Amino acid sequence: MRKSRIIKDKVAHGTMFALTIIAILMVVVIAIGLYLKSAPVLENKSLWSLLFSSEWRPMKGEFGFLPFIMGTIWVTILAILIALPISLLTAIYLTEYSKPVVRKFVFPALDILAALPSVIYGVWGVLVIVPWISQHVAPHFVEFSTGYTVLAAGIVLGVMVIPLLVSLFIEVFSSVPTDLREASLALGATRWQTTKKVVIRKTLPGILASTVLAISRAMGETIAVLMVCGCVIGIPKGILDACYPIPALIANNYGEMLSMPFYESALMFAALILFVVVLVFNLLSRIVLYRLENAEK
Amino acid sequence: MIEIKNLNIHIKDNHILKDVNVTFPEKQITCIIGPSGCGKTTLLRTLNRLIDSVEGVRMDGQVLVDGQDIIHSGAEITELRRKIGLVSQRPCPLPMSIFDNVAYGCRINKMFKNRRQLIYHVQKNLKAVGLLEEVKGRIRTPAARLSIGQQQRLCLARSLAVQPDYILADEATSALDPISAKTVEDLFVKLKADYSIIMVTHTLRQALRIADNVVFMYLGEVVETGPANQVFNNPQHELTQKYLTGAFS
Repeated sequence: MRKSRIIKDKVAHGTMFALTIIAILMVVVIAIGLYLKSAPVLENKSLWSLLFSSEWRPMKGEFGFLPFIMGTIWVTILAILIALPISLLTAIYLTEYSKPVVRKFVFPALDILAALPSVIYGVWGVLVIVPWISQHVAPHFVEFSTGYTVLAAGIVLGVMVIPLLVSLFIEVFSSVPTDLREASLALGATRWQTTKKVVIRKTLPGILASTVLAISRAMGETIAVLMVCGCVIGIPKGILDACYPIPALIANNYGEMLSMPFYESALMFAALILFVVVLVFNLLSRIVLYRLENAEK
Repeated sequence: MIEIKNLNIHIKDNHILKDVNVTFPEKQITCIIGPSGCGKTTLLRTLNRLIDSVEGVRMDGQVLVDGQDIIHSGAEITELRRKIGLVSQRPCPLPMSIFDNVAYGCRINKMFKNRRQLIYHVQKNLKAVGLLEEVKGRIRTPAARLSIGQQQRLCLARSLAVQPDYILADEATSALDPISAKTVEDLFVKLKADYSIIMVTHTLRQALRIADNVVFMYLGEVVETGPANQVFNNPQHELTQKYLTGAFS
């Protein structure tokens, strides 16, 4: 009796350990897979020309990823610029100011928003944002725009990221002990002063980590962006230009015209870029986080 | 002087404080004693209106701080809180340096125009709680690195820095080791020359040692109140007698 209990515990331990290792190994396997698949193009072209050339002529075997990389950067930055302040203030309102009744209604709504399939955001972008940009925004700045622009992609992506960011920020702010807020309030601070100087200061590492998570998510988002970005190859010169981020490139082209030499390999290389960027980005944020947390101690 | 008249506090459906009438004299230590859950902390938190953050709280009656009713009338809560310092049970340093912790309230309340005055003021208050020497050379390091007893004294210095008239202490020594507790307790005795101190305490012996006045509470009511020697040596109420003799705690 006693023995079987201990054996069960050992089996459970072993199984969970194995599953954890498998989950981590998946990342390594994907990285290796992507590298092997993109090896042919890497052997034939210099890394420099792949990353920094804007010549994209698959028929001629020219693969310059700069337009796609720039497209990804533009859209991601714009999305975060839109989402960050809105999410931060919303989360501050919900945790620091709102009554519990408000929270009771807003929290489930946020969860629903976060769970909406991205294609729905894409459709909303096509039906609402794209025409709005084309008819009301763009005419002030350029002669003609279809509305399928960096701006449209940034807005759609930003709105998509907001529920995620708000939930993360709420989690982060809720981790601040009430005592700490009261210590500040008891000195005659207003709630805004307390939020600014104590809550945000205390949670800076968490805010940063959440933002990095949101950026990683935004970089990889495919379908909603693909639907509104215009998918025109070229380095965008402003937010009213069309763009073509990396995930859209892969989704649009993979499986087609793979008979072309190096084409598949090039697309896999695009995936590898995305993978490495997100990985490096997360690692960097870990380092910053570590520094910040240690500075407090 | 703080005067409480017919104070009733409800939180949702619970009647927490029942018709409380108490006066806290100036420049003395008043200890609020009583068994757990009798409303000591609620009473304390009403005085600086930190109770406001509790969901579903209703207050009626009067709490007069220097003659001004803080429950009704558009009382300026932030100014009230500046006037009434708080030292809580567990020390709670703000996530900043030792210096900034003490300077925090001064900056919030825009007390000083020039930096030199601020530095002098911070040092003065650190000295008042006996910390200045101990933190010499690391005043710009995070306050979280201090020992828990030092942290509590830092919190006291932080409260003193905004020049309050009253100090509320909510079992301020209960989380500390005996030596730190003694240091903090002695500080309170020293501080009563300049401040009116209202202290919730769980340990009768502490009240015996330092109280000038005692308020004994039971189940949300003030059972007995008066000068410490009178309440301790000649309690009028049967419940007080039982509590003091340790029949319940």
